[in-house]
Amino acid sequence: MCEEEEVYCPELQDTTQGKSLGKTCMKCKESSAVLLIRAGDAFCKSCFKEYFVHKFRATLGKNRVIYPGEKVLLAFSGGPSSSAMVQQVQEGMSRDAPKKLRFVPGILFIDEGTTCGMSHEERQQNMSEVQNVLQQTGFPFYIVSLEQVFSLPGSILQRGVPEQRANYKQEVDRFMVQQQAQGETGCSDILENLAKLGVNVSESSRESDKMFQSTCRHPPDTHTQKLIQLFASAKTLTAKHQLLHTLRSHLILHIARTCGYSKVMSGESCTRLSVSLLSNISLGRGAFLPLDTGFCDSRYGDVDIIRPMREYSLKEIAFYNRLFHVSSVFIPALNTKVLENSSIQQLSEVFINRLQADFPSTVSTVYRTSEKLNVSKIDANQGTCAKERCLLCLSPLDTQVGEASAFHATQISHYISQKILMKFNDPANSSGKSCCQEGKCCKGPGYGDFCQPRALQAPSFVDMLCYGCRLTVKDLQSLDALPQYVLHEAEHRSRRIEMRKEIEEFLLDKDEENLH
Amino acid sequence: MRVQWFCFFLSCLTRRVLRGGAELLFDGIKQHQVTLPNQSNPWDIRQLLVWIRHNLLKERPELFIQGDTVRPGILVLINDADWELMGELDYQLEDKDNIVFISTLHGG
Amino acid sequence: MPVNCSSCEERRAVLRRPKTGHSLCKDCFFHAFEEEIHHTIVSAKLFNPGEKVGIGASGGKDSTVLAHVLKVLNERYAYGLDLILVSVDEGISGYRDDSLETVKRNQQQYELPLKIVSYQELYGWTMDQIVKQVGLKNNCTFCGVFRRQALDRGAMMLGVNKICTGHNADDIAETVLMNFLRGDIARLRRCTSITTGSEGAIPRCKPLKYAYEKEIVLYAYFKKLDYFSTECIYSPNAYRGHARAFLKDLEAIRPSSIMDIIHSGENLSVKEDVRMPVQGTCTRCGYISSQSLCKACVLLEGLNRGLPKLGIGKHHKLHHKLLSQEPLSEQEERKLKAVDF
Repeated sequence: MCEEEEVYCPELQDTTQGKSLGKTCMKCKESSAVLLIRAGDAFCKSCFKEYFVHKFRATLGKNRVIYPGEKVLLAFSGGPSSSAMVQQVQEGMSRDAPKKLRFVPGILFIDEGTTCGMSHEERQQNMSEVQNVLQQTGFPFYIVSLEQVFSLPGSILQRGVPEQRANYKQEVDRFMVQQQAQGETGCSDILENLAKLGVNVSESSRESDKMFQSTCRHPPDTHTQKLIQLFASAKTLTAKHQLLHTLRSHLILHIARTCGYSKVMSGESCTRLSVSLLSNISLGRGAFLPLDTGFCDSRYGDVDIIRPMREYSLKEIAFYNRLFHVSSVFIPALNTKVLENSSIQQLSEVFINRLQADFPSTVSTVYRTSEKLNVSKIDANQGTCAKERCLLCLSPLDTQVGEASAFHATQISHYISQKILMKFNDPANSSGKSCCQEGKCCKGPGYGDFCQPRALQAPSFVDMLCYGCRLTVKDLQSLDALPQYVLHEAEHRSRRIEMRKEIEEFLLDKDEENLH
Repeated sequence: MRVQWFCFFLSCLTRRVLRGGAELLFDGIKQHQVTLPNQSNPWDIRQLLVWIRHNLLKERPELFIQGDTVRPGILVLINDADWELMGELDYQLEDKDNIVFISTLHGG
Repeated sequence: MPVNCSSCEERRAVLRRPKTGHSLCKDCFFHAFEEEIHHTIVSAKLFNPGEKVGIGASGGKDSTVLAHVLKVLNERYAYGLDLILVSVDEGISGYRDDSLETVKRNQQQYELPLKIVSYQELYGWTMDQIVKQVGLKNNCTFCGVFRRQALDRGAMMLGVNKICTGHNADDIAETVLMNFLRGDIARLRRCTSITTGSEGAIPRCKPLKYAYEKEIVLYAYFKKLDYFSTECIYSPNAYRGHARAFLKDLEAIRPSSIMDIIHSGENLSVKEDVRMPVQGTCTRCGYISSQSLCKACVLLEGLNRGLPKLGIGKHHKLHHKLLSQEPLSEQEERKLKAVDF
């Protein structure tokens, strides 16, 4: 098809032919510039720092989601963005009273070495490097291995109840009064909570180094084996990435819940988010773009994920880290050293970066597109409760769409392509509302009410997932390798659905009796 | 060993090749009957692509080949069946096989 | 290692379906392909009995398959539609001449009436003449805008109720990606809907919306349909090329991605406070337009004044001058004249 709706878009014009690096800073007009952020904007070192720091505070300030005194967990991956984020929080904490950030931070690092085949020794080394970096922050921190997902409770897949808050202004005032009354509280409550933790979280503020040694460094071998099995059962790298993302989110949520954090800060940069936006669209997750990439993701109810670094490009972050000596830890991950077309996520990254090179406004345009999106219509009517949410990603289900949709078209294709096979292999299944005998109904015009094709394997499990998570699960060789909490919760949910059905039928029967 | 291969190139590939004046003209439906040199191991599609690249595509091979396979968007039929059903690159050619390349890019 | 058809389990499969991964034999594939389009038509309620439906026919694979399948389904399910082929002659010698011959053969093969509308007759310019004036850089903008209107005008002359175009799943997915990448939120919202165009304009629909390009090509190949197969001789847009290449790479990694992107597009929801352009009509030709002059009229004005860049980019401020036939200032002219190849 040729360019039917082709429109010239001046934003996409190549802007590289702009003037050569203006030697003085565009802001103070005095010092010489050290970097160009957008085409044409040259900054000197000190103006850049001011700009960078201001942006962080402004992002938090305009969104007003973190209440004073609230406990905020910083998700630290070792990479440049999350390192810069931690540094920004430190910077904010060290300010004088009026400008000081007034929340209570903690840091979480998750060791995912097992997923990319790292040896025990390599993981140890990474963790001690991370520990060194985190110790210098003076914040309480937790180093947890991904293996811990095998001891998560099923409740992690249930939406929590959001805490009722007065309006922002009142909360701030109340906090100020409290502050005067009692002075700073340390992290003693965190330690208390830790003791209650069923999971081996290693919290390593000065006193508990010993505990760190014994717990986190040795996740049980059985768990490591299970994790290896789980990732081996994913047939594609695309699915491995999604799986890792899901498990990591669950673990972060769990740590936040058990340690009393009601906010989690995640350090995705603008560049990273553009890539996620594109790959999420390609992964069928369009309905959830605002949740998966927005500033505040409140799908879990009691713990919100916020993304304060989303206005920085990777270039800005890299420069900041280099100019102001923010150390990050390089840790190999699933996508390290793989071919560009080995996964959808990887392909999206390469694509965005290449397009950005040709059209320098790509990242910011994509990012601004996402700003104009809303959480899916389904979420608009908040009345829809837990049963409507995806078992794995807890997003509101996007599979209850009309007949005329890509989702249904695919189901129809499944059905038509295998209908006879189903009849032979699975006579039990035909007890449903199968209407196609000998392909008869497909010849009739009353074709619209096609029976819902059901996956042969574990139908109820798949039904509980959103479109995107179904794709991931489809790439798993079997469901058995999934952690117990997922399977338990699935069972729990399907029992609940069955019970509801029974009750409904019972009520219907009663109605009928009454009629007679 | 003789292999027939048709080209149904509907794409820029056709045109660019045409425009480049290479002797290979995939104008609409074009049939090439080629005799592949004997070799100790049986020919597979992977080797056929390399052979086509060196012997038939004189210009802009990147429009046909990407890495060691055909460019995404070009369909390959082996004896009128989707090559995805036949082992793709590993399919071993037999005498008088029919290989068809159809580009799906453009031409709507 | 022949694979058997997953539907009949008897015959040898000839293709693997990208949408679902199933393998089908030729007959089961034909059946499935046609039935799925039937399902699309029924579920989206595309037609009403007795309607006169124009099929945008370019002679290419998509529109040829569309014409064939609509003809078959119209008979099989007694839709009661009056089908007509509508072709646009852009006036591109060597490209359009041949493809129009194909459309003329299709007309006989399918026994459907055919109407050809030409740029020459509608606008007084052929694409060959336009390219001579604007060069190869923005020519696709002209062609695209003109074609859209030409099809509508042809359809209007015929008194058609609806127009069908051959846009397939790959095209829709590509458009979702394109609009997303360039931040065109208004188009992003519209581009997945199966029927477009409301008041004033003739509704357009895309019955092949959920059909993969791969299957369309193979359907045409196995059915030995007569279609013309070459790309337009004026080079394609680079940006769209990027999106297409990305889409094909995605399809190679996970064949369902094309449908997955359409699903994404169908479920995006735009914030209510985002400003959307208001649709009005062109004061000159009456065609729907968000500006006082529609794109085609601006482009045409530019051609006629010898200022081809007039319609490229945003020059809304000049519209009043165009409407009142005023001359442009020298400076304005200079900006719009330059043609860079």
